[in-house]
Amino acid sequence: MATGLVFFPAFDWAITPTHPEREERLLYTRDQLFEEGIMDLPELIEYKPRMASKKDIARAHFCVPDIESQITDAHLYAAGGALVLADALMNKEIDNGFALVRPPGHHAMRVVHGNRGFCNIHNEAIMIEYLRKKYGLQRIAIVDTDVHHGDGTQDIYYHDPDVLFISYHQDGRTLYPGSGFCDELGGPAAFGMNINIPLQPYTTDEGIHYLLDNLVLPILDDFKPELIINSAGQDNHYTDPLANMRFTARGYAMLNEKLSPDLAVLEGGYAIESALPYVNTGIILAMAGLDYSWVREPDYKEENFKETKENMDYIKELADYLWRIWKEREQLAEQRYHRKEKFEEVNRHIYYDTDGIREQQYETIRICDDCPGYQIIRSRGMYSTGKSKVIEAVAVHHRACKTCQEEARGYYERRKREREGLDVVYLQDKPRDRYYQFTADGEIEILDE
Amino acid sequence: MLIGLDVGGTYTDAVLLDGQQVIKKVKTPTDNEHLLDTLISALDPLLDAAQGENLKRIVLSTTLITNLIATNRIEPAALVIIPGPGLNPNTYDYHVPDTFLLSGAIDYRGREIEALDQQELKKCAEEIKKKGLKKVAVVGKFSQRNKKHEVEVASYLKKHIPDLYVMMGHQVTGRLNFPRRVHTTLLTLATQANYNSFYSEILKLLKKRGITAPLYILKADGGTLSFELSTEKPVETIFSGPAASTLGVLALTAEGETSVVVDIGGTTTDLALILSGRPLFASRGARVGDRLTQVRSFATSSAAVGGDSCLEVEDGTLKIMPYRKGPAYCLGGPCPTPTDAMRVAGLTELGDEQKAIKAMEMVGEGLKLNPYKTAELILDKTTEKIISEIEKMFLSWEQEPAYRIWELRQKKKVRPNNLVGIGAASPALLPLLGKKMGCNALIPPDAEVANAIGAALAKVNLRLTFHFDTERQFFFIEENGIQEKNTEVKTLADAESFAMNRLIEEGQKLGIDISDKPELVYSEVFNMVRGWRTGGRLIDVCVQFPTGIIKHHEKGDH
Repeated sequence: MATGLVFFPAFDWAITPTHPEREERLLYTRDQLFEEGIMDLPELIEYKPRMASKKDIARAHFCVPDIESQITDAHLYAAGGALVLADALMNKEIDNGFALVRPPGHHAMRVVHGNRGFCNIHNEAIMIEYLRKKYGLQRIAIVDTDVHHGDGTQDIYYHDPDVLFISYHQDGRTLYPGSGFCDELGGPAAFGMNINIPLQPYTTDEGIHYLLDNLVLPILDDFKPELIINSAGQDNHYTDPLANMRFTARGYAMLNEKLSPDLAVLEGGYAIESALPYVNTGIILAMAGLDYSWVREPDYKEENFKETKENMDYIKELADYLWRIWKEREQLAEQRYHRKEKFEEVNRHIYYDTDGIREQQYETIRICDDCPGYQIIRSRGMYSTGKSKVIEAVAVHHRACKTCQEEARGYYERRKREREGLDVVYLQDKPRDRYYQFTADGEIEILDE
Repeated sequence: MLIGLDVGGTYTDAVLLDGQQVIKKVKTPTDNEHLLDTLISALDPLLDAAQGENLKRIVLSTTLITNLIATNRIEPAALVIIPGPGLNPNTYDYHVPDTFLLSGAIDYRGREIEALDQQELKKCAEEIKKKGLKKVAVVGKFSQRNKKHEVEVASYLKKHIPDLYVMMGHQVTGRLNFPRRVHTTLLTLATQANYNSFYSEILKLLKKRGITAPLYILKADGGTLSFELSTEKPVETIFSGPAASTLGVLALTAEGETSVVVDIGGTTTDLALILSGRPLFASRGARVGDRLTQVRSFATSSAAVGGDSCLEVEDGTLKIMPYRKGPAYCLGGPCPTPTDAMRVAGLTELGDEQKAIKAMEMVGEGLKLNPYKTAELILDKTTEKIISEIEKMFLSWEQEPAYRIWELRQKKKVRPNNLVGIGAASPALLPLLGKKMGCNALIPPDAEVANAIGAALAKVNLRLTFHFDTERQFFFIEENGIQEKNTEVKTLADAESFAMNRLIEEGQKLGIDISDKPELVYSEVFNMVRGWRTGGRLIDVCVQFPTGIIKHHEKGDH
């Protein structure tokens, strides 16, 4: 058996010519991997990406006004690369797999008005929904090791009790996207299934590994997922130009060895010369069970990566606190949400840094004693041109009970008739695996084509 | 007139051509222990036929290197590697007992990130000297982007061990892939001396016969090179047999078509692909035994079935064994073979019909089938095995990884127009294969000497892959180890014209007819953005005089 690898550097795709997410990003990584002869190793199988279908995307997103407006072929190949590995894993061709693809996706939320944090669509979420539909998987854990909070992942799975999301990141008070605090723990149906680990700037290997050993791995042991996915961002690296952490290539490799994810998908990481070639080599070797002790950055010195006592105290306290929450999540959920109510309403503001869009969201969460329910999202995207678009989207959980399913579908049908002020109305009917969007031009079902 | 000689493992083919017309052909068994004798017996009849007419060139395709490696008759050498950070160098086994590991590192941009350790180097030299090793390969990771460490090590070793022969990795190949570069360098080093003595023997032989025509050798990439220049990197001549047959088919089929070259031999059927008139290359280089190299070669594949494959029945199931016990039963051999089935089905006139029927009865007994039904079944199984291997080849070509959107989009499902048969059993089996695959089955005239024709008509080719780093103001060429300072190339257009001029210049030195159009294979530029500003460019440009055959060699054009 072997480790599967999809390497899709999209050498002909960029957000803009000088943007960090540009053609050059994985160039030196390619040089390093190719020079190492990694693709020739019997422990590795290289796969070619395919294109994800529109239906694959519709399982995870409501694209405004439609999927075509939000994606390029590069997005389809990046997401499709993850799907290729998902198939290879489930067909037992590989033990685990790493989709080394760009563009990234973990900031893409359920509603997509544009690009935020360099992401349009969420590669891991698209892969997870595919795995659930095609192979009937239920319990999945995602561990996000990107330096930025995986707010897209959090958003997509906030109400899903079957998906555990754990995100390591630099504290949102000091870094984009400004979220990912300890009290963002999940919606009424999934409380405690969203664990944020905000780290102080300059946290090193030592601190991150302490949290891995004493918090993340014990939670995973407890949750017993059928599949572990790593959102493998590489910008915790000590040379990353967009963040302030002090993680090393060897630290990343060891993290992968301990975490032992079934599938890993590249996210951010913009130290394209000083970090990516080494971090990616380290991760691949670790996943393939090969010795990574020879992987080191040119200026690596072990003594530079020790934690301060002050920060270590914070880290230990954080680990204890979050572990308690995990153990007591059911009682805490009852205190936090009034389960006697049928609906819970929340609203919030979302900012799209790349495309300069502001979004206002009102969410109605159906609380059900028998199932994870459904949500209705009303969203207004306010674009930099001054124009705006208003949509309403109904998202039904895979395991929604008959009553909730009927309620949700009924709501969508009603909205189609009374569409006042709405540009698009969506129905994400996961129990039936059917996806619709309705506009002034009528209804379209999104198919595999 | 042209002469082509293909020294194969079993047979040696030779042709004398006038234009594309075969004047004389020879087929003689190969004596691997005495290759020169084999050459003489193939060459002399052609020289007689040429009757002193002016020979334009002689092209040789030989298994010499393949045999040297396969029989392990290669000279021992020491290996010094400078692996730098990354993969643990012990992950790969280079089969060299005297391997020395040096610290020091060059990165992917060719920057020195760690200097050599002089103490280590000293110790290494002492050890090599003490052991009395005469040859050493020195290979560093990313040495193709900066040869500094390789050169330092080589000159230190030569200074302290004057009679030591040193070969550096960057001289041999500059493609990314350190382990393959190590293997390729070792094989080059290990075969050079034997190859050189073979070369001087041949020179003597030609001189004795008063031949002044230039001598060329066919390489694995289907191009020819003057024999003299080929002594630098003899390993490039490995697997020239499949290259010769593919070129032979190229010469014998219409331009631009997609063909499968099917060479049905005794126990194997060798396959190669021509896609829209272009031979398909192995993507990362040739596999030589268990060594992965960077020798550019055609993609070939092999199905374990041939005319002499031994047939057996186990538990009522027909089995085609991967070995032979002798010729076909109908030709006096010991066991039933696919050739016997072909005889019974009337596909060939070869051998004794009664014996063939007897062979089918032997197989049919266990299958409870009459001889004719048995023959049908055997032919079905035989062709299925070959077709599935052909399908696999197309599939693996389709599945080849690609790193750009346009490359992924462009690759369409392709299936062949032609099956082109060469080799002994092809004429009988090919029509059946063609029918099953829905394409033309061609047996070109002179198919039995297609390899020699391919060799005779192969063009001199040249491929140069440039890598410019405008920030560091240097460039290197993958294929010939050149690393030079350069300040004039700044844009993609500059790089392309620089590369093209260099190609023409180098091509002329090799005797390429530069009226042949040189090609831009690919070019690509990456802006290096530092602090939101373009700091420099990395430019890759690949140009070539492609592999191909001489099409317009007019009759009488000497």
